[in-house]
Amino acid sequence: MKAGSNLEKVLEGGYFTVTAEVGPPKGTLANVVKRKGELLKSYCDALNVTDNQTAIVRMSSWSGCILLKDMGIDPVMQMVVRDRNRIAIQSDILGAVALGIRNVLCLSGDHQKFGNHPTAKGVYDIDSIQLIQTLKTMRDEKKFMNGEDISGEVQLFIGAAENPFADPFEYRVMRLVKKVKAGADFIQTQGIFDVGKFIKWMGMVRDQELDKKVHILAGVIPIKSVGMARYMRDNVSGISVPDAIVTRMEGAKDVKEEGVQIALETIDQIKEIDGIHGIHIMAVAWEDIVPVILERAGLLPRPIL
Amino acid sequence: MIITKKRDFEELMENVKNYRNFFLLGCSECATLCGTGGEPELKAMKEALEAEGKSVTGTFVAKTGCQVLGTKVELKPFKEAMDKTDCIIVMSCGAGTQTAVELYEDKPVYPANDSLFLGNMTRLKVFDERCSLCGECILDKTGGICPITRCAKSLLNGPCGGSQDGKCEISPDLPCAWELIIKRLSKIGCLHLLEEIMPPKNWEPSYNSGLPTQKGKK
Repeated sequence: MKAGSNLEKVLEGGYFTVTAEVGPPKGTLANVVKRKGELLKSYCDALNVTDNQTAIVRMSSWSGCILLKDMGIDPVMQMVVRDRNRIAIQSDILGAVALGIRNVLCLSGDHQKFGNHPTAKGVYDIDSIQLIQTLKTMRDEKKFMNGEDISGEVQLFIGAAENPFADPFEYRVMRLVKKVKAGADFIQTQGIFDVGKFIKWMGMVRDQELDKKVHILAGVIPIKSVGMARYMRDNVSGISVPDAIVTRMEGAKDVKEEGVQIALETIDQIKEIDGIHGIHIMAVAWEDIVPVILERAGLLPRPIL
Repeated sequence: MIITKKRDFEELMENVKNYRNFFLLGCSECATLCGTGGEPELKAMKEALEAEGKSVTGTFVAKTGCQVLGTKVELKPFKEAMDKTDCIIVMSCGAGTQTAVELYEDKPVYPANDSLFLGNMTRLKVFDERCSLCGECILDKTGGICPITRCAKSLLNGPCGGSQDGKCEISPDLPCAWELIIKRLSKIGCLHLLEEIMPPKNWEPSYNSGLPTQKGKK
């Protein structure tokens, strides 16, 4: 075991794994995080806490992780390189490990232009692949980026994101190779709506035998409304929502139920893909639906271990 | 060249409202090409100041405004105009402005332009940012396209998940630098260069805080 986290145990145990996302509040109320934790606790193997997602200032990911950990949940700390240089990154990792956080998801982060402080200076001292590499060096060699020794163990289970729907499509897998080479232990993908394209991408992943080297969790985003479907299709970079999905939502009598149906169909198809080790549900502002979806998908009880 | 943009005239007027007499200093290099500090722009500025009831004691377009000693020599004949002026308005880049600061320690100096970036003129009066002066060139590894400058996140191992149809997520007008890099490396048969993880960048050479350098060496 590299970190001994629940997520690592479940994935290494070969179980089909379920993770979900907790967005921290734009404020100081710990109860917002705890409430989401309470809601999802019995339905997931680990919970991600986002790091100022879409570049909007929120409670820090590590503090959200601690609130969840205190409830007996295995947290995944998301960390973006947009807001920290290599000094702050390594310092935050030491602190997170000291507090018992074991899973870290390495991300570049949405560009600051999209957030609520668009005049901020983006840091981008290192990139997400270099962040993976940094964490691996800290864990395996107990060394900082500059080669100096770290005192104490750095137990980390290292995650990375991948977006199979970004361009250039043919190059995406080559970049995933780099992430695995850098030291990623698990991958959580962008939300999948175009399953056909995802299947094609997974074929390329298997050709490189990456599914044998890294645990891949497929991203699922439940769609709550027609507006959300349209918004994601037209405005959210990196997400590809086919027109057929939008049309289906538009034509639905019970829109929310249709959203759940789409998510369930997606999960059913994903489960059949060779090399997929689990799903990661990102129910943005619709956490309540996660238990419903997982129950109907037959993925309970959780945590599996 | 250094790409500059004219600042708002009213803002400039607010900054210099307490002065009456002005000397205008332009530059025949980048600022002239950008149309922000050549003869026509100095003439227009002179007229605008006069329309505001101000007086202009002299105007001069330096050959190379960032060349301190050369500019000093060129400005010698303007001693009388400089003595009469209350302040100097510099119509070139931030470096040109600081030449005037260095040469005239007892005169207030105001920049008339914002310095935007180091770029190329790709078409007439169209400027594209191309270099961030980061101090340690990586163009040899990226097919001659600079991701430090042209990738919105300055990624060294791109592209990120926001690359769509060849465009960057931050603007439909911005090509994804990494898509350009991949295309170019494919064309010249060097795509294998991207197989290696590019290590974290040494930013030290880019932060020199005004430390004097000689012959390009620190």
